Amino acid sequence: MLSALDRGHTVAPPGYSRWLIPPAALAIHLCIGQVYATSVYKNSLIAHFDASQTAIGVIFSIAIVMLGLSAAVAGTWVEANGPRKAMFVSACFWAAGFLVGALGIATGQLWLLYLGYGVLGGIGLGIGYISPVSTLIKWFPDRPGLATGLAIMGFGGGAMVASPLSRQLLSFYDPGYDPANAGSTASGSALVWLFVTLGVGYFLIMMFGVFNVRVPAPDWRPAGFDPAQVAAKPLVTAANVSAANAVKTRSFWLLWVVLFCNVTAGIGILEQASPMIQDFFRDNGASAVSVAAAGGFVGLLSLFNMAGRFVWSSTSDVIGRKPIYLVYLGVGMVLYALLALVGHAATALFVLLACVILSFYGGGFATVPAYLRDLFGTFQVGAIHGRLLTAWSAAGIAGPLIVNGFLDAQGEPGTLTAAAYRPALFTMVGVLAVGFIANLLIRPVPERFHEPAARDVAGDVETETAQRSGTR
Amino acid sequence: MNEVDPRGQQARLWISWLVVSVLLGYGVVQTVITAAKLFTS
Repeated sequence: MLSALDRGHTVAPPGYSRWLIPPAALAIHLCIGQVYATSVYKNSLIAHFDASQTAIGVIFSIAIVMLGLSAAVAGTWVEANGPRKAMFVSACFWAAGFLVGALGIATGQLWLLYLGYGVLGGIGLGIGYISPVSTLIKWFPDRPGLATGLAIMGFGGGAMVASPLSRQLLSFYDPGYDPANAGSTASGSALVWLFVTLGVGYFLIMMFGVFNVRVPAPDWRPAGFDPAQVAAKPLVTAANVSAANAVKTRSFWLLWVVLFCNVTAGIGILEQASPMIQDFFRDNGASAVSVAAAGGFVGLLSLFNMAGRFVWSSTSDVIGRKPIYLVYLGVGMVLYALLALVGHAATALFVLLACVILSFYGGGFATVPAYLRDLFGTFQVGAIHGRLLTAWSAAGIAGPLIVNGFLDAQGEPGTLTAAAYRPALFTMVGVLAVGFIANLLIRPVPERFHEPAARDVAGDVETETAQRSGTR
Repeated sequence: MNEVDPRGQQARLWISWLVVSVLLGYGVVQTVITAAKLFTS
């Protein structure tokens, strides 16, 4: 039965609609995006285990580190075995993570939560994140930015689904829990049932993606699509580069720097969003922005983060990948500078600047698979994407370190003002400038790294010899 | 390889997009409700 998951059994029959693939990818990303909603039950876990903030916070860190590691290590396996098996494995790890985590909560064993949600769930995250990417790019050679933008938008949307859903489930399982009260914590049994419900529910939704996903036949083309037109664009190759060769190229590492800089700058704001808006409008020790309004600001940033993934990535299909990153990084520098200099003038201006910055942050994530396709071809684009995601893990450490390092030097939390943020924000302008220069330096990959013109790739016979030679 | 049944595929397309739209729509509506507090609080 498991052979049904093999790549060879997932080749789409003639007439299969490619518009079934984005919802299959969304089914995966909407589920694994839950990882950004762990703060909802963090206080309840702290109370249940009688543990420190750090001891519980490390669960999220383990999951993100495992995401980067498993995406980098398993990328080639995902390419070889196809999206259906990869999505199935991802669903098993993701659901097992919740169930083992639930066992840890029920038995009071925190290490089981680390092993379950952190390690097993993190592996499911990494494999799930990259599993639909190369398939989408192959189904949408004419609009790869739109296709990957749709899927990766789901990752942003996953937290927006999981946060309110988790609060409502905790209230259902523990009537004494009040989600509107920040000091209220849910009981251990409510947490156990939350984890079991999420594990089973996410498994079923992810199976929906497993059921629908197909790879296109090797000779399939969208109606009216001419590969020569796409390949004629600057920086777009019709050749293919393996993941092993891609990491030996200068362009890969320049793109790594681009992603690292874009994510570092965005995470700096995202991580600090709630206290930041309150600090920017603090006068004589009291902030004009209430805690509830600050929470609303975080929600608004989530919407722009998600929308930016779709809108900007789709725009990149029209204006090109390099120009759109020049916008993310170049306009981003101007917006960060404005935020530092005049952001405190009016709440509306502050919110507008921060929202556009966050849309660029999301856009950077969603556009990068299409940029990789342009540079390295479709052969192992998922595996190359997995290796590039180590930039995300590194930025996840660097961004908060930069912001918190500067803020710690400026004073105590709750006493800071807009001026305290200027050194951190101007540092982010410098970080974006580095990314801007790195993006300008990206060049087509030299021909010596290209794969031979025709080769058998995991049962997927590449027969694009004639198209490949045109754009070198 | 067998051709796809057009009617079956149409139903599959509707159900697929409906499922993800409901999920995403729930998240967006809930987040908009939260975000509205920025302007009302």
